[in-house]
Amino acid sequence: MHLVRDVLDKKLLDREDEEMGRVDGLVMQVSERSQPRITHIEIGGSTLGARLHPVFERLARRMARVWGPKRHEPVRIAWSHVKSAGKEIRLDVEAKDTGAVAWEIWIARHIIERIPGSGNEEIDDADQY
Amino acid sequence: MKKILQLTLGIITSVGGFLEIGSVVTAVQAGAAFGYQLLWAILLGTVCLIFLVEMSGRLSAVSKHTIVDAMRERFGFPFFSIVTLGIVIVAFMVLVAELGGIGLSLQILTGIGFPWWAIPISLVVWLLMWKGTFSLIENVGSLLGLVTISFVVAAVELNPDWSSAAHGLLPTASGDQKAKYGFIAVSILGASISPYLMYFYSSGAIEGEWDETYLAMNRIISGFGMSFGGLLSMAVLICAALALQPRGIDVDKFEQVALLMTTALPKWGFFLFAASMLFACLGAALEISLAISYFFAQGFGWNWSEDLSPSRDARFAFTYTIIILLAAVPLLFGVDPIKVTMMSMALTSATLPLAIVPFLFLMNDPIYLGKHRNGWISNSVVAIIILISFVLAVISIPLEIMGG
Amino acid sequence: MRTKRLLALSIVLIAACKSPTPDEQMDSIQSWLATAGLVGEAWLRHTTPDTYSRQTLELSHETLLQISSDLLKSPPLPLDSTTLDSVLTRSRGHIDQMARLIEARDVPDFARQLDSLRADQKTVHALADSLKPKQ
Repeated sequence: MHLVRDVLDKKLLDREDEEMGRVDGLVMQVSERSQPRITHIEIGGSTLGARLHPVFERLARRMARVWGPKRHEPVRIAWSHVKSAGKEIRLDVEAKDTGAVAWEIWIARHIIERIPGSGNEEIDDADQY
Repeated sequence: MKKILQLTLGIITSVGGFLEIGSVVTAVQAGAAFGYQLLWAILLGTVCLIFLVEMSGRLSAVSKHTIVDAMRERFGFPFFSIVTLGIVIVAFMVLVAELGGIGLSLQILTGIGFPWWAIPISLVVWLLMWKGTFSLIENVGSLLGLVTISFVVAAVELNPDWSSAAHGLLPTASGDQKAKYGFIAVSILGASISPYLMYFYSSGAIEGEWDETYLAMNRIISGFGMSFGGLLSMAVLICAALALQPRGIDVDKFEQVALLMTTALPKWGFFLFAASMLFACLGAALEISLAISYFFAQGFGWNWSEDLSPSRDARFAFTYTIIILLAAVPLLFGVDPIKVTMMSMALTSATLPLAIVPFLFLMNDPIYLGKHRNGWISNSVVAIIILISFVLAVISIPLEIMGG
Repeated sequence: MRTKRLLALSIVLIAACKSPTPDEQMDSIQSWLATAGLVGEAWLRHTTPDTYSRQTLELSHETLLQISSDLLKSPPLPLDSTTLDSVLTRSRGHIDQMARLIEARDVPDFARQLDSLRADQKTVHALADSLKPKQ
């Protein structure tokens, strides 16, 4: 599998076929005794920032600590959860269990649903995921 | 039946995308300053756009990805972020111009200055996106946009010399005022070939769940829809050539543009102009806000869909809310929408390669398009026109700045 | 260091923005006189509403004032500046009057002012021609 072409930046779908973001980065384990292998998929602004320039990574980390669902680390999903990799990457976890959609839920709850007409009367956001 | 209704996608993309403040102001300036001589620029822009829009629809129907999806996946995040920066900045300027266009239309109708309209207008645009669905925006926009046919009626009423007009379809070097001629040509191209149109159309195809059976319809929509828009722009130019040029009126302000149809259509001309501008700019404002938000949402993998209620695509809804609010700010401070229009049209031309070159790569990629990849004609036509736009822009913009 | 150079370059570019030539200023003046004339005609034929017509005449007046003062301040022109100044002042007066007459809905006086404006337009046109290089 060609990592950059087939995995990186692809869309992620969870067990229920719900979209949960994109593969922003990959974590690899390099050891003396075995081949390097991917251990985790990483999702998050700081991961993306790191691919541009360390300055952006630091900025993204700071923002993530201070705003929204305050996280100190990017979201990591173990590679073992990958069911298939084609046009999208399918995982056998549920989005809400991973933290991948934490920002979506946070913005929905704290900003969008406070504005009338947002449609939150119709669903419970826990149901969505 | 559903496919026939999809024709409305083509019409609104065209009216909102093609005919908006940029294409009207540039066409009016062209007609007032150079008569029929710049019709070729509109023709060139229209042809290029037909190809680009057809490609956008084809990419989405076959690969089930939007252009933005494919760009991030194929080119990776770092390159994608550069393209995003360039496109979003220029698109945002165009959005400011469109909201300004709505404001100016209301100004000439009511006498109340456009800065006062900035907030009510953004609220209305925002509300339409908040509560509306993609089909609602499409269909209502198409119907209201049809009032722009009055430009064609006015042009015919003015009894143009059709053979002179036809000569304008071939490029001629102008006598004096070369810098101004070049600059207006560049602005017309930038006004016609607006990248945001492609992202809007591509997302619409995904919303409409297009597949390979839609390819023929896609060609018809892009062909007829964009031609319709091109025709409208040409009508505007002809009106200006006949109503304004003979009197030596060179267009600087919107108030002068408003006189476009008063001689041709005495009773209703003024009001038809105001209504046409209002609806065309409204359609464009909606399209651009959506296009910019799509860039972020599709690029980052958020939920996005006009058919979902905002709480189900919270980050997407939050993005367009912020964008619309920010776009109102320059207008509140009285920044002249006409100046923003001219600047953003020229900048669009200059940044076209940024949007189109990666797109052409995608259109030739077998992974996304399989046997529906671009043929040499599509590639050549687009590449040549983009090259022309870019070269003209690089030459004309500095000349125009230097020339005051 | 690079930022300073960039800044310097931008300042030079902006400073290089030429102000309009007398030729261009005369073109602008004629354009706005024509605009006022067209609006006048349109109002007489009831094709444009009162508010818009009045505001556009006021805008023409303002713009003409600005361009004329710029034009007449600049180094001596190769034409009769005194005549130009007086004809421009007179036209602005007509336009100003027209704007007021819209409020008063005085059609006959408005039409008279419009005729005088047209006469002044011809004078300005002749003066502008004298500025252009002889063919």
